[in-house]
Amino acid sequence: MPRAPRVLAGKRPRPLTALSLTLALVAAGFAAWAGEDWYAAAHDDRAAYAAQRDEALAAGEQAVQNLNTLDHRDLDRGLDLWESSTTGELREQLASGRERFAEQVKAAKTVTTARVLSGAVTELDDRAGRARVLVALRVTVKAPDGAKTEKDSRMLGELTRSKSRWRLSALGQAPVGGASAG
Amino acid sequence: MSTTRHHINRERRRQSRDTRPAAFPEQQPKQLKEPKQQRQQRQQKQSEQPGPPEPTAPRTRTHATAVRSRPARTAVSAPDTPRGRTTDGTPPAAGHRTALALLCALTLLLGGFAGWAHARAGALRDDPALRNTALTDLARTSEIKGQAAKAVDRLFSYDHTDPGALRKATGDLLTGKAVAQHRALLADVRKRADAQKAVITTKVTDSAVERIDGDRARVLVYADQSSVSTSGTRGKQDEGVYAGAMLAVDVVLRDGRWLVSGIDTFGR
Repeated sequence: MPRAPRVLAGKRPRPLTALSLTLALVAAGFAAWAGEDWYAAAHDDRAAYAAQRDEALAAGEQAVQNLNTLDHRDLDRGLDLWESSTTGELREQLASGRERFAEQVKAAKTVTTARVLSGAVTELDDRAGRARVLVALRVTVKAPDGAKTEKDSRMLGELTRSKSRWRLSALGQAPVGGASAG
Repeated sequence: MSTTRHHINRERRRQSRDTRPAAFPEQQPKQLKEPKQQRQQRQQKQSEQPGPPEPTAPRTRTHATAVRSRPARTAVSAPDTPRGRTTDGTPPAAGHRTALALLCALTLLLGGFAGWAHARAGALRDDPALRNTALTDLARTSEIKGQAAKAVDRLFSYDHTDPGALRKATGDLLTGKAVAQHRALLADVRKRADAQKAVITTKVTDSAVERIDGDRARVLVYADQSSVSTSGTRGKQDEGVYAGAMLAVDVVLRDGRWLVSGIDTFGR
């Protein structure tokens, strides 16, 4: 009877193995659940849309600020920044009027700085890559004699996405007095 | 589940002790997970009354009592170990240990992944961009926009012939620190309007929701203000003075309505 104990030993229960198998199964369950949850979170449409909204707003605020910032001592850099912040028709307008505008600012010797007070996206077409923003701006113009004037601007901007970057394609001020911009 | 398994294991242990006293003595303490006293008690109980069906798991219990017959035992303990090893001569303990080590590694790996994936999902969900539901929740966005615009229209319009309208608006639409802010902003305007017998009308022209976080939101508002004086000194009907205003209002959801809880005029 040499085999009898062997067989018995082989068929002996293994509570530790059973326990670790159970633990492994539980862990597998958790892993599957957490993995699926992660996938769902990563592929949330709203997340992509929200990210686009925030990107458009950040780009819009920066571009509006850029376009209201100009130092007569460093015109080229300032105007280059204008062009790189814009696209489409607005960019063409700025480029065509650049020479004349540079002359004017050089003569006036002004330093214009702007600060964004607040901004928000009104419309966002994620697929078409178009957005509209409201940017509340405080513009400070420093004259050569050191006098400072502050003016608040209620900007309305339109952004277009090209090469996954948002740029201003139109910019204007909200009209005052009856003629509502809608 | 585990109680059944414990019970089965106990049965087998007893059996092997009967046939081979002191078989694997070094393994026994390792395998026994439950406290010794409890175990002995339960063993006694079992030997006194062999297999009284417990109310919680009567069906598995029957299995367990049938454990003595060999086919039943293999059936019940099927997922236990790579038991086949014993037949091809490998020492059972070695195979057992390898399996255990593998299972432990697998458990750690899976557990680690679960924890990591959970943290990643949490980080993604906690993204401030996602928590702000402006525009992602279109219905709520337009609801907030509409109510905020209406509130600003009412709160910044004043007719000297009907001061009650403004009082009602402040009572209806303001909450928290906005009450004091509004009073400070309107004090001068009201005095002047009363003196000039003017009618001040505010109309929101543009607005956009900056952020929605649950029941709080912030709205950027552009508004036109016109002041029409009806006092005799300036003629019967003044042409009206228009001014553009911009302000941001914090709104909070109370009983299904968005109330203004803060007014930011950007230091003006």
